[in-house]
Amino acid sequence: MTPFDEAFHASAERHERAFIVCVIVMMALLTVATMFYVVHDFGLVTTTQSFHSDPTAAEREVAAADTGRVVKTGPNSYAVHITGKAWRWTPGVIHVPEGAEVTFYVTSSDVLHGFEIQGTPVNLTAVPGVVGTVKYTFHRTGVFRIICNEYCGMMHHAMIGQVIVDARAAE
Amino acid sequence: MSGRAFTPGPVVYPVETDEGWRPERRMMLLFLIAGFCALLIGASIGPLQALNYDGVNAYPALRSIFHTYYQGLTVHGVLNGYVFTFFVTCGLLVYLPARELGQRPSMALWGACFGLMAVGALSLIYAMFDNSSSVLWTFYPPLKGSPFFYLGMTILTLGSVQPLPVLLKMRAAWKRAHPGCVTPLVTYMSLVTMLMWALAGVGALSELILQLDPWSLGLIGTIDPMINRTLFWLTGHPIVYFWLMPAYISWYGLLSRQAGGKLASDPMARMTFALLLIFSLPVGSHHQFSDPGFSQIWRAILVVLTMSVAIPSIITAFTLGLSLEYAGRMRGGSGLVGWFRALPWSDPSVAAQVLGALTFILGGATGIVNGSWELDAIVHNTTFVPGHFHVTVGSVTAMTFMGLAFWMIPHLTGRKLISRRIALFSVWTWFVGMSIFAIGMQWAGLYGLPRRAWVSALPHDTYHALYGVAATPTTLIAVGGVILWVATYSFFLVFFGTLLFGRRADRPAVPFAQALSGPVSHETGVAIPVATGHGASVLANRLEHVWALVGLTAVATVAAYVPILWPFLHNVTHSPGWVLW
Repeated sequence: MTPFDEAFHASAERHERAFIVCVIVMMALLTVATMFYVVHDFGLVTTTQSFHSDPTAAEREVAAADTGRVVKTGPNSYAVHITGKAWRWTPGVIHVPEGAEVTFYVTSSDVLHGFEIQGTPVNLTAVPGVVGTVKYTFHRTGVFRIICNEYCGMMHHAMIGQVIVDARAAE
Repeated sequence: MSGRAFTPGPVVYPVETDEGWRPERRMMLLFLIAGFCALLIGASIGPLQALNYDGVNAYPALRSIFHTYYQGLTVHGVLNGYVFTFFVTCGLLVYLPARELGQRPSMALWGACFGLMAVGALSLIYAMFDNSSSVLWTFYPPLKGSPFFYLGMTILTLGSVQPLPVLLKMRAAWKRAHPGCVTPLVTYMSLVTMLMWALAGVGALSELILQLDPWSLGLIGTIDPMINRTLFWLTGHPIVYFWLMPAYISWYGLLSRQAGGKLASDPMARMTFALLLIFSLPVGSHHQFSDPGFSQIWRAILVVLTMSVAIPSIITAFTLGLSLEYAGRMRGGSGLVGWFRALPWSDPSVAAQVLGALTFILGGATGIVNGSWELDAIVHNTTFVPGHFHVTVGSVTAMTFMGLAFWMIPHLTGRKLISRRIALFSVWTWFVGMSIFAIGMQWAGLYGLPRRAWVSALPHDTYHALYGVAATPTTLIAVGGVILWVATYSFFLVFFGTLLFGRRADRPAVPFAQALSGPVSHETGVAIPVATGHGASVLANRLEHVWALVGLTAVATVAAYVPILWPFLHNVTHSPGWVLW
């Protein structure tokens, strides 16, 4: 090795060690940060309500609970049961009040669908035979679109539903 | 030091003197051509997908070839993601070690690898072009394609693990001839890559052989979507590393020599590969953060493992940067950025690889976003995700393979590139086009634009109501796509032009890099054996025990997947198949 090589190599080894330490610290901080927000917003985490061996049973479970409207489950909490079926969401339009905690129970009766509410972090795979849930509170009134984001065939792109967040009536 | 004065122009490669490798060269050329033919078809369709996001629906005009956008997208994903990368990699990971070791590969096995993959690829192409299997490259059941699709995928995957026995045989023969010596670097990296891939293949192969093949043939009636999805991602995440590791092999093993320098650290390259082997297998289910059905504890563990798998890639960035800095300084570059300007930018092979590596800054950073559970909820299945992997596999892998082709075709055929300028033009336009495209895709994803959706087929008003808010990023997507079209065809002009019309010239030798530290090796194009304990570092010696690494990886993978699969195996859903396109 030439003197230049030797100097370069010595400096490289020193920086390499420092770099590896920095990388490990950085990734550890990122891990802690993401875990903090998971715990903080735990409702957004996809959880499982039930499994069914017959995919139509999951659909029936959701349909039985579905009155076409949201179900009030507490002073300021609501439940919505939704089924994805190529290529529409049932119910297709959902009215929820502003500022209330809404629990979505989502399943599919045919293939995989993706339950994404545009403009929110709500993002859940609709799986035949499994009822998944997420919780979310809408803090803004208006129309939010439910977009299917898991490929489900020819008209996948047209599988759009709506969540309409209504202003709270003056009490 | 005479090398310190500024040296313009490309580094002159040594001339190949060993003319005895004719069958190997021809086989390697076959792999290269087959792979790039797949890319030619796959990449030609790409810009149609890009235009789609900007609301431009080109598919009605192509009715005679593609019935739907989804059919075109299936062809794009399967040919680029699987067929192109598998062929180039399975050629490379036998040819480079064979030349490095000076050992003949088993031509029967290597040829069987090509044959299996060719049969698999043709079967896939048939099933995709007759629109019987527009299931996209992830082929999630219960969408049901034709048996030709699943059997083709099975055969292609089986073919792609064949280089492993070829490599093991060559390494064993070399070790017998050089007892107590450390495996040369390129062979070591190739072997670890193939071991990783053989382990990873267990997921998709069991999905295909136990479920999808018999299901599509009508032998079993129903299928469980979650078990298959989980098995798919058991392979589907490590495949990312099967795309990246061959590019890393070129960066560590060749690029520093091509740039006029040396590899900064040989043991660090080995450690990177060992870490990639261990961490890439257990993390696949981080693609399922949005799925119901498995425990939150395991999702949290997946986050930690995913962050860990980023570490070897960030170390690669450091070692590669350092090797390039050394090369640039040896060429007379000085100051903070002078070394970067002094690199041999007029060599299209170097330019392709360095520019590919630059895009990986964006690709790697967005990968960390995807792997962060909470952030993934925002970007999952939006265009952010394909935006991310177009600056990993679509740039790092594709551009490195393009760069390899620029020295390899002259090396294999004895023909000179027909135009260095067009080659450089293709590389720069690919870099610019892919960067613009990826930034557009990632940005648009934040507005909730779903990935792989035929949004341009929506009525105009609906498209604008839903995605008009993302007009700027979707315009970038379309612009990037069109630039990539130009890049693709200028590349293939050079590729096929050289094969057919290139002028006869001396063959350049394989530009194996030499490590800065450690003993002189590779001076003659063949590795000089380094005995353990004689110059080989402690780390390199420890990492020689590849079977221990494999054992560790297998244990980690089983430990990660048993708890994830457990609830699915106890709650099997019997879903019938659906053909919905």
